[in-house]
Amino acid sequence: MAQIEFHGVTKRFDSGQEALVNVDVSFAEGSMAFLTGHSGAGKSTFLKLLLCLDQPSRGQILVNGVNVTRMNGRRLAHYRQHLGAVFQDHHLLGHRSVFDNVSLPLRITGMKEKDIARRVRAALSRVGLLEKERLYPRYLSTGEQQRVGIARAVVNRPKILLADEPTGNLDPELSRDIMKLFEQFNQVGTTVIVASHDRDLIESMGLRIIELDQGAVIRDGVNTRLDPPVREDADG
Amino acid sequence: MAEATEQHAGTRRRSGDPWPPVRTGVGAWWRDHLRIARETVHFVSARLGTSLLVWLLVGIALALPAGLYLIERNLSGMTAAWEGRPGLTAYFELGANEQQIRAVVDVLEKDRAVADVSVTSPDQALAEFRRYTDLADALDLLESNPLPASLKATLAPGVETAVLDPLLDRVGSLPGVAEVVLEKTWLERVSDISSVVSRLGVILGLLFGTGALLVTATSVRLAIEARLEELKVLKLIGATERQMRRPFLYFGAFYGLGGGLLAAMLISLCLLIVEAPLSNLLGSYDQELHLAGFDAVFLGGLLTIGALLGVLGALVAARQRINDLEIL
Ligand SMILES: Nc1ncnc2c1ncn2[C@@H]1O[C@H](COP(=O)(O)OP(=O)(O)O)[C@@H](O)[C@H]1O
Ligand SMILES: [Mg+2]
Repeated sequence: MAQIEFHGVTKRFDSGQEALVNVDVSFAEGSMAFLTGHSGAGKSTFLKLLLCLDQPSRGQILVNGVNVTRMNGRRLAHYRQHLGAVFQDHHLLGHRSVFDNVSLPLRITGMKEKDIARRVRAALSRVGLLEKERLYPRYLSTGEQQRVGIARAVVNRPKILLADEPTGNLDPELSRDIMKLFEQFNQVGTTVIVASHDRDLIESMGLRIIELDQGAVIRDGVNTRLDPPVREDADG
Repeated sequence: MAEATEQHAGTRRRSGDPWPPVRTGVGAWWRDHLRIARETVHFVSARLGTSLLVWLLVGIALALPAGLYLIERNLSGMTAAWEGRPGLTAYFELGANEQQIRAVVDVLEKDRAVADVSVTSPDQALAEFRRYTDLADALDLLESNPLPASLKATLAPGVETAVLDPLLDRVGSLPGVAEVVLEKTWLERVSDISSVVSRLGVILGLLFGTGALLVTATSVRLAIEARLEELKVLKLIGATERQMRRPFLYFGAFYGLGGGLLAAMLISLCLLIVEAPLSNLLGSYDQELHLAGFDAVFLGGLLTIGALLGVLGALVAARQRINDLEIL
């Protein structure tokens, strides 16, 4: 059984705009995949629905066999505690130090200070920022800020790591480093889904790519060359 | 959707809850509260100007009804203290003799509305007059005692002054009686005032309580706006709604408590200002200034009500804002 399954998922906004149209995809536990497509293709909506920040208009999303689209309250909160999410504009809190930003997911679980410190330092050393833990985000470069965001996303050891345009503001060199970082987290068993419109970058990774166009999946497979439109069977 | 969930229910049962709450042992709840309390103090003290303003607004809103409550309590305390004292006083004519006085005493003592009768003879009246005034020397110049005899009848408890009219008429028509006076006017006035004040207190309490609530709701709303980014992050990383609301409930409680404290200070300031003239006024009616009700229970109540209103205001503000939080 796949860990994540989209079954006929459609998202239509009140405006009538359809961001996802009848999407059927699944992700095995411990796999890694890229979501790609033009701006407005529906990549962010895909991740938003998976994070239960919005509900699909039709269809269902199963995670570990449970339909997550109608969850609410504590159960939804606990579900999110088992996910990690990274964004282009990283959502770091300016009035908190790097350490405090990264520790936030642990603090809300009421973890002991000692354990928090250990876990935060482990996460920061994974992204290579251990020596910057006392600094405030504004004193870091964009690439470093993004890595702080990643450390925060993985600090609670999520089973699933989602990223929406994590390299959006970065130059190619740094972008590559970030993608390698995600690959490392995938190699220790985390399921990783990264949305990115940077075709060159994701094609060079040699991993599964799901392409969206106007909300529909038009391609799904391990592919290094995307240019010829080929019909695809979506077996992951 | 339901079928799908059921279809996988077997898997779920075998593996348990796929997303169990992250267990961090007992004390997790306390640690969360402690952390938020610390952050609240930090947040409030970082915006001391705004916080003081909020405290002042809430304080004034609470001080008015609370002050009226105190006034009402003391007025009704005054009428209660006087309850044994109302009565009627009969003044005799200067030439009234012992028998005439006896006859009046008999009539009054037989009446069930009257609890107690005491007679003041002309000599006693004169002695009292000497004691209380500086005019005693002037009296020595007079050949005879100019003061009449009088008697004072205390009414039985619970007697309505209205039923006394026949008795008044009867005593007034007895020989030797010059005048009968019912001492009721002051009392009735005080009790009227106290019921007006009490109703006013309820109305003002509701109005200003709502005001205090709105002030804290607005301030909490501002605090939420200032921390919107943080709320988004919190929601995303799986904070429960309760956890997201918690800091703002602390704000509300903090603002409300501070408001209650300020209200107590405002009231005691007012009491200091009116103390001197009030004790003069009461002194002229033989009353000692003894302010009832400004005690630990009153203060505790004021703080509690302040905190509750604050929390309520925060709940109102937080509920709507957190629910329609847009992320991404
Ligand atoms: N809240 C919303 N209300 C209405 N339309 C939306 C909303 N969010 C996204 N859309 C629309 O849905 C489509 C997909 O958006 P999005 O998922 O953000 O695309 P991508 O991330 O691939 O650029 C776009 O046309 C966008 O305008
Ligand atoms: Mg997007």
